[in-house]
Amino acid sequence: MATFFGEVLSVYSRAVEEDDDDLDDENEDERIHREIEEKREVHIVWCPEVAQSLEDSGSNKLQCSDLIIAVGTNAAGFLSAYVLNTESWDAVGHVSLWNERSRGSSRQSIAPLPGEPACLFYRHRDNPAVFGCLQKRGLSVMVLSDSPVAEYKTPDYLYGSAVPFLRSLKSSASKGQALCPALEQPNILTGLPAAVLSHCQVHQIPAVLYQCYTDVISPDSITMETFKPALLCLSKLVKLEPCLSADVLRKFAIITEAQSNLYT
Amino acid sequence: MAARYDRAITVFSPDGHLFQVEYAQEAVKKGSTAVGIRGKDIVVLGVEKKSVAKLQEERTVRKICALDEHVCMAFAGLTADARIVINRARVECQSHRLTVEDPVTVEYITRHIATLKQRYTQSNGRRPFGISALIVGFDYDGTPRLYQTDPSGTYHAWKANAIGRSAKTVREFLEKNYTDEAIATDNEAIKLAIKALLEVVQSGGKNIDLAVIRRNQPLKLLESKEIETLVAEIEKEKEDEAEKKKQKKST
Repeated sequence: MATFFGEVLSVYSRAVEEDDDDLDDENEDERIHREIEEKREVHIVWCPEVAQSLEDSGSNKLQCSDLIIAVGTNAAGFLSAYVLNTESWDAVGHVSLWNERSRGSSRQSIAPLPGEPACLFYRHRDNPAVFGCLQKRGLSVMVLSDSPVAEYKTPDYLYGSAVPFLRSLKSSASKGQALCPALEQPNILTGLPAAVLSHCQVHQIPAVLYQCYTDVISPDSITMETFKPALLCLSKLVKLEPCLSADVLRKFAIITEAQSNLYT
Repeated sequence: MAARYDRAITVFSPDGHLFQVEYAQEAVKKGSTAVGIRGKDIVVLGVEKKSVAKLQEERTVRKICALDEHVCMAFAGLTADARIVINRARVECQSHRLTVEDPVTVEYITRHIATLKQRYTQSNGRRPFGISALIVGFDYDGTPRLYQTDPSGTYHAWKANAIGRSAKTVREFLEKNYTDEAIATDNEAIKLAIKALLEVVQSGGKNIDLAVIRRNQPLKLLESKEIETLVAEIEKEKEDEAEKKKQKKST
């Protein structure tokens, strides 16, 4: 196959495979895969009072009116810094998981450390309905996620000043205007935000997703500020920190040392 | 879309792009801002100082480098690439002095740097230099010069220009404010460079480095005290302007 110097292309043969000797090896691979698959686990741990109210409610469901999910370092940093920092939120539980791609810790009772694949649930102290567990009625969901701008496909050239920017997607049950343009084709979402939105679409739960495209790799305060308009519609229920002190921002926006010497 | 055409530098995309070169220009935008101004008897280079780590020696983090006694340059982009380009340019300056017995003209050394950069956009297995440079100096006939090069290997002469992170904003400021009166004296030219940088630099004068070359004088790096004095002058002028405008409105 014609290619440039240094590129190696694997060429696929269209010949039918006739040799049977590979079967055993394949079986072994399959066996190993299956064993690892069985080891996959997801653990949900609730704090005692929530566990109690779960038992009391009988149906193992929790009251929830609004669920905010943040996926990605910048989105999670934004939520931590601007919302959860106002000190009226309690951590009520966590989900930790283990599968062959993302190996979490095997300790289940201790809250997961940052950097481990996990999910923390927070509940607003004054308004315990704002948080969530998946209950179908009366629930509205907002997902915040971030993504590198290199994956944003557009026919126009993106000038540096436009980045970071927000795009939105809504489930058909969601009424009302989103606060930023909708995600244009052929861009797609993947991963957890896509799964949440699909679930909401199928079960007719109003959901809106805000995706922020940014050009920095690490959590960064400017990117986090881009999410601010997303919480305006929840401002009655959720109090936003109007302006952050530098210390708080520094906690969440980690400046990687390696980057700072690369460019001058 | 661009995925198949950006792995090898020597491959054009169907619509005529050399993506690696364009990506190198994005790398330049990650460097901090540098501005160059060509005055009548002076050339000025101003840069936004990078924040240094606590234990780092500040003097070793320099964006402005002398290439010869009468030529200096400021760069934006990858630090390591800049070091290589500067070393080659310095060697070329001395080699020119020895063989031709004349100091280089600013255009000659700029052309040398630009040719070097272009060679790396056409070789197999190498990536382009990720820096843009502003090269200033005086030719031996006394004319001040300012040139800018970019990763593709092009170079142009400018009256004033900016490279790096917020180059667009600074350039727009310069387009509005670069007039003959603005560069009438040496001091005015230096103040114009500082004003242009203050548009995009946070926390004012202590994050600015300035270098000037005057005709028949070697490169001079301004001390932070001098820069602070000039910044204070600029602030005072701004306040006086604002006062005058207020008075005009009230009368």
